[in-house]
Amino acid sequence: MKDEQRERNIVVETVVRVMIPFIQLFALYVIIHGAGGPGGGFQGGVVFASAFILYVIAFDLAGARARFPESANTIFSSLGLYLYAGIGLLAIIFSSGAAQYLNYGFIPFTSDFYENRALGMDFVEMGIGITVMAITASIFFDLSQKDEKESEKEEEESK
Amino acid sequence: MNRLKLITLLLIILLCALFIYVAEDIPVFGDPNTPPLKSVELFTLEVDPLASLLNQHIVPETLSGELVKRGFPPPSRVEKIPDLEGEWNVFIAKEEPRYAKEEKYYWVKKEGDKLRISRYAFVVRWIEKGLEETAVPNMVTYGLADYRGYDTLGETSVIFTAGVSVILLLRRRSRL
Amino acid sequence: MEWFIAKIFAKYNYWVFILLMMIGFYGIIAKDNLIKKIIGLNIFQTAIFLYFISLGAVKGGTAPIVDEEIIRKGYVYANPLPHVLILTAIVVSVATTAVALSLVIRMHQEYGTIEESEIIETSKDKGMTWT
Repeated sequence: MKDEQRERNIVVETVVRVMIPFIQLFALYVIIHGAGGPGGGFQGGVVFASAFILYVIAFDLAGARARFPESANTIFSSLGLYLYAGIGLLAIIFSSGAAQYLNYGFIPFTSDFYENRALGMDFVEMGIGITVMAITASIFFDLSQKDEKESEKEEEESK
Repeated sequence: MNRLKLITLLLIILLCALFIYVAEDIPVFGDPNTPPLKSVELFTLEVDPLASLLNQHIVPETLSGELVKRGFPPPSRVEKIPDLEGEWNVFIAKEEPRYAKEEKYYWVKKEGDKLRISRYAFVVRWIEKGLEETAVPNMVTYGLADYRGYDTLGETSVIFTAGVSVILLLRRRSRL
Repeated sequence: MEWFIAKIFAKYNYWVFILLMMIGFYGIIAKDNLIKKIIGLNIFQTAIFLYFISLGAVKGGTAPIVDEEIIRKGYVYANPLPHVLILTAIVVSVATTAVALSLVIRMHQEYGTIEESEIIETSKDKGMTWT
């Protein structure tokens, strides 16, 4: 079914195979350094997903699906949202009585009120990055899927 | 000429004239003294008995009376801005758990014969007190994840919903 | 002449924003192809972001990251509040474009074409009434 003659370019394949881990490392850098310079959760998540898109452009879609399977996609896209809402729930539990949702100062990471806020913000940014990465990759894989009925019609015409 | 083109041309000229008429009050590009950036003007008062009282760090009765009459929170103390002549900061006292107890709220400036009283915009607190309240240097990040954290939660659920709806639309019935 | 320069040409950000917005608006309404309509929608949204961020610009302002050296040298910061709101709006725009593109794919599977006039013709043959 996938026997169409696709040209393979050795320069593109080698360069992409070397570049993809560095793109992902840069994306992690952008997410974590959102507090000290430009960056943040949304930006880093999209850069991470662009590594998967580069793989699909240089190689084929089935190989990318084998490396990022459907089950991992569903787990990652819900994990970020759970992390975000869970930090808020922790803040309600630890600020016993004065129910302050998403006031990260009450969660006892360290002993300083203002330092806790910075650490709570880092967790939240990581949650946003994970969700945005999984959803962007899932949207791209779905939009570029070849339809079953169309591929069956192509087979009948080529026979 | 075609009748539709004539009407469109007249409409464009009318809209340009309307914009030129309105353009006097729109803030200039890059001006640091306009309402969203620094302050919103409230009212004006007479200078004479008030300036000396303000210089001695006493809040005048007329000032607090006028503010309370218009529905604003009452002031608690006055401080002169260093290195500037004729400008004062007025503070108010607040009751909020774990935040600063007093906040710089009004700005009094002497202009010729009158005393202009304005309220500081919210961005002034965002810029000046952000680093000591959140220990993060980046103003946009602590605005997005700490002061406006609830909006970002809704934002993440928006993009999650978009991903789910693309899956719903594009999978065939037999494989769903 | 002075009045013209001070009042109208100094506020050139509004003219640029209106030009981009009208280009996008024309693309949404007057084009037949569905993909071109989606491109027009994106241009429209970009014009709105440009307008909102240009309201927060300060002459000679630097990027809004707190640094001791910059405060000592006496620079002013640009307004960070529009940046925060537009970051959310950009993500909403991406989500809208994704759903719109998937709808176009489904319409292509149903009708076989993505020209708006041909879709209306085909649906009239199938029995829908367009007033």
